[in-house]
Amino acid sequence: MKTDPKKASAPREPWFAARRELSAKRSAVLTVFSFSLPLLVWCAVSYLPFLWHPDVELEISADREGVTTVYTPGDRVSEEFFPEFADAVREQNLEVEPLLSFDKPVEAGSEASIRRGNKKVLRHLAPLLVRNGWLTEEQTKDDDAIYSAWKEIATGAKLPTKPGLSGENLEIIRRNWAAMSRYSESYNADNFISRPLLSLIPQGRPANPDYLPAPHEVLVSGIKEFSKPAEAERPSMWQRVGHSMRIVFGGFLLAALVGVPIGVICGTYSFFSKLVEPFTDFFRYMPAPTFSTLLVVVFLANDAPKMALVFIGTIFQLVLVVANTTRRLDLPLLEAAQTLGANQLQLLTRVVIPGIIPNLYNDLRILLGWAWTWLVIAELVGVKSGLTEFIETQGRWRNFDSVYPVIILIGLIGFFTDQILAFIRGIIFPWTDDGAAAASSPLAKAVLFVPRFFRSAVNERLPYQPDTPLNHESTFPKQA
Amino acid sequence: MIQIQEPDPLQYLVQRPEVSERFAALKKRPVVLSVQHLYKTFDCQTGTVTALKDVSFDVYRREFMCVIGPSGCGKSTLIRILAGLESSSDGQVLLDGNPVTGPGPDRGMVFQSYTLFPWLTVKQNVMFGPRMSGQRGTSAESEARQWIDLVGLSKFENSYPHQLSGGMKQRVAIARALANRPRILLMDEPFGALDAQTRCQMQSYLLQIWRNLDITILFITHDLDEAAFLADRILVLKANPGEVNEIIEVPVPRPRTPAQFVTPEFISTKYRIDQLIHPNHGGSEDSLPFPRMTPQGDDVE
Repeated sequence: MKTDPKKASAPREPWFAARRELSAKRSAVLTVFSFSLPLLVWCAVSYLPFLWHPDVELEISADREGVTTVYTPGDRVSEEFFPEFADAVREQNLEVEPLLSFDKPVEAGSEASIRRGNKKVLRHLAPLLVRNGWLTEEQTKDDDAIYSAWKEIATGAKLPTKPGLSGENLEIIRRNWAAMSRYSESYNADNFISRPLLSLIPQGRPANPDYLPAPHEVLVSGIKEFSKPAEAERPSMWQRVGHSMRIVFGGFLLAALVGVPIGVICGTYSFFSKLVEPFTDFFRYMPAPTFSTLLVVVFLANDAPKMALVFIGTIFQLVLVVANTTRRLDLPLLEAAQTLGANQLQLLTRVVIPGIIPNLYNDLRILLGWAWTWLVIAELVGVKSGLTEFIETQGRWRNFDSVYPVIILIGLIGFFTDQILAFIRGIIFPWTDDGAAAASSPLAKAVLFVPRFFRSAVNERLPYQPDTPLNHESTFPKQA
Repeated sequence: MIQIQEPDPLQYLVQRPEVSERFAALKKRPVVLSVQHLYKTFDCQTGTVTALKDVSFDVYRREFMCVIGPSGCGKSTLIRILAGLESSSDGQVLLDGNPVTGPGPDRGMVFQSYTLFPWLTVKQNVMFGPRMSGQRGTSAESEARQWIDLVGLSKFENSYPHQLSGGMKQRVAIARALANRPRILLMDEPFGALDAQTRCQMQSYLLQIWRNLDITILFITHDLDEAAFLADRILVLKANPGEVNEIIEVPVPRPRTPAQFVTPEFISTKYRIDQLIHPNHGGSEDSLPFPRMTPQGDDVE
């Protein structure tokens, strides 16, 4: 059977071909996946209870006699420890049971402490009631309200659902209520039960460790932290961002200001290369943070030692990278310029610098990313400041849901700075390969309008003058 | 079997009267470039290598001289020394009687790699030399336009080099070198990277430019046709060490056209160069010990 060549579909481009570019559409799809896949993994681990979840987040806690470690609802305990914890409380209840059923008399004189304990038992239910919306946050010590809630649950008038109660705990509530109601139907501090109540058995749900909060928790905390206004002694988050960026960009710009000329000179003249680079190469292996105490002594407090740390951490790499970039400039270009009469200074300013600028720009882009990595250490120097101070404090309190938004924000700032700089590169260097593509974009046309306007205005003033031709006869007289 | 007749190896020495008159006139012109007992040695791990040994020749005003030789004969070293980009070990180079000590605008150079400044437009590239010597603004710009006109690239004066083809780039490079009004134009295999057709075209362009200007050209090539087509005289170098083998006076009359490729003068010149560069040509040394790997039959020779 013959197949019509027109009908036969074009062979599909393979997805995996070594060193072959993918189509723009495929590239875009993969870029989207590149960001959404990690996010999806995070969501899956956070929201699918059967994935990982090695801990139990307590919904109801209990006090254990003679144990000083107190857990409150919201705390996380490991999956292995949780049954141990619950069993300890159950055992404790076994001792209480005969007293509660009035089979045994209580020790004389212990009524006051028993009542105190009972109040605690009642209040252990409060966080669960708050989450169910029965009580407000302020009512967790409102014994009246808690007492009547116990009554409602015990009599079956109303049952908590989100989260609900285990059957075991429902039974405990009914039995406790049976005893409590003998004293009073409503809370009465004077006529409160003086026989020990059964403790509620700890109850919880599977959870991840606190260092991996769920995406929505991070988002909520992020919005909350970033919308907090500044207070005395406590800058707002945006002020912190500004402060951190000032340190990174300040240190980096200083390093570039000093390092680029040195690098260019080293890359151009072997004399300076051999004089400067070996020591630079050695110095860059000394970790910048080891100089932090020294920097504080020299530059005192505030931002100066921090910027100095970013400076030290960046400049040595910068000099070497810039020198290498300068050396990569096509040697024949320099030779051609020399045969055209360029002197030393012209060679540097008219050939070397314009020749390396697109690559230099790229180097600086990469080194700016490098400077960002010094941020956290720099902000720990001297008095903690900026985003790092926030991360440090919140991290110590284990408020990781507040820490992640800041970390992510730092990443986003770095990422977008880089993307914008990469985009601008094509516009300001129209002779480079990506310049040709970028120059035709509408944004580029808008940006380039002003310089082009001036250039055309200048060209207008310098028209081609065919009436005064270059006199070949006079400059290059013809031989007979 | 057809008998291929060996040409007379010395036929290239026979010159028509107008050609010999031309050479007589040429040798009366002043010497622009004089190379005297030039030596160049390199130190490398295996010892000292002599790249150039006692090279001496003169180039007369408005002469077109080609330098040809087997690979490794030091052609490029020679032209780099003339341009001042490398120093000689001994001997001297005189330009209009003055010794050459370093690169300068009096000797224009066109490289095989185009060496246009990628960040400058065609016009700015051509203006580079005059700008370096302090000429500015209007005069430099309108002059540059005329040089661009001369190489036929007026439409591209505001293009960047990466937008041009190889042949166009090399034309810009020639215009750029000429804009400095050098005494001599040194060309280091300038058309080596071009395809055969463009190369032919460029050769004609170059001859036209040369005819219309007072410019002396020293042109390095490894292409026998190119040398015989372009040159007044051809300097043939020997390899290891690079020595002057012979200076051939090309008997092909001017103006040159591609039609002359089949004239006896042209063929005999080429034959002579070939003899000089490949002395063992056709001998058994050249054939590879290659076994027959296909059965004999009608379909193979």
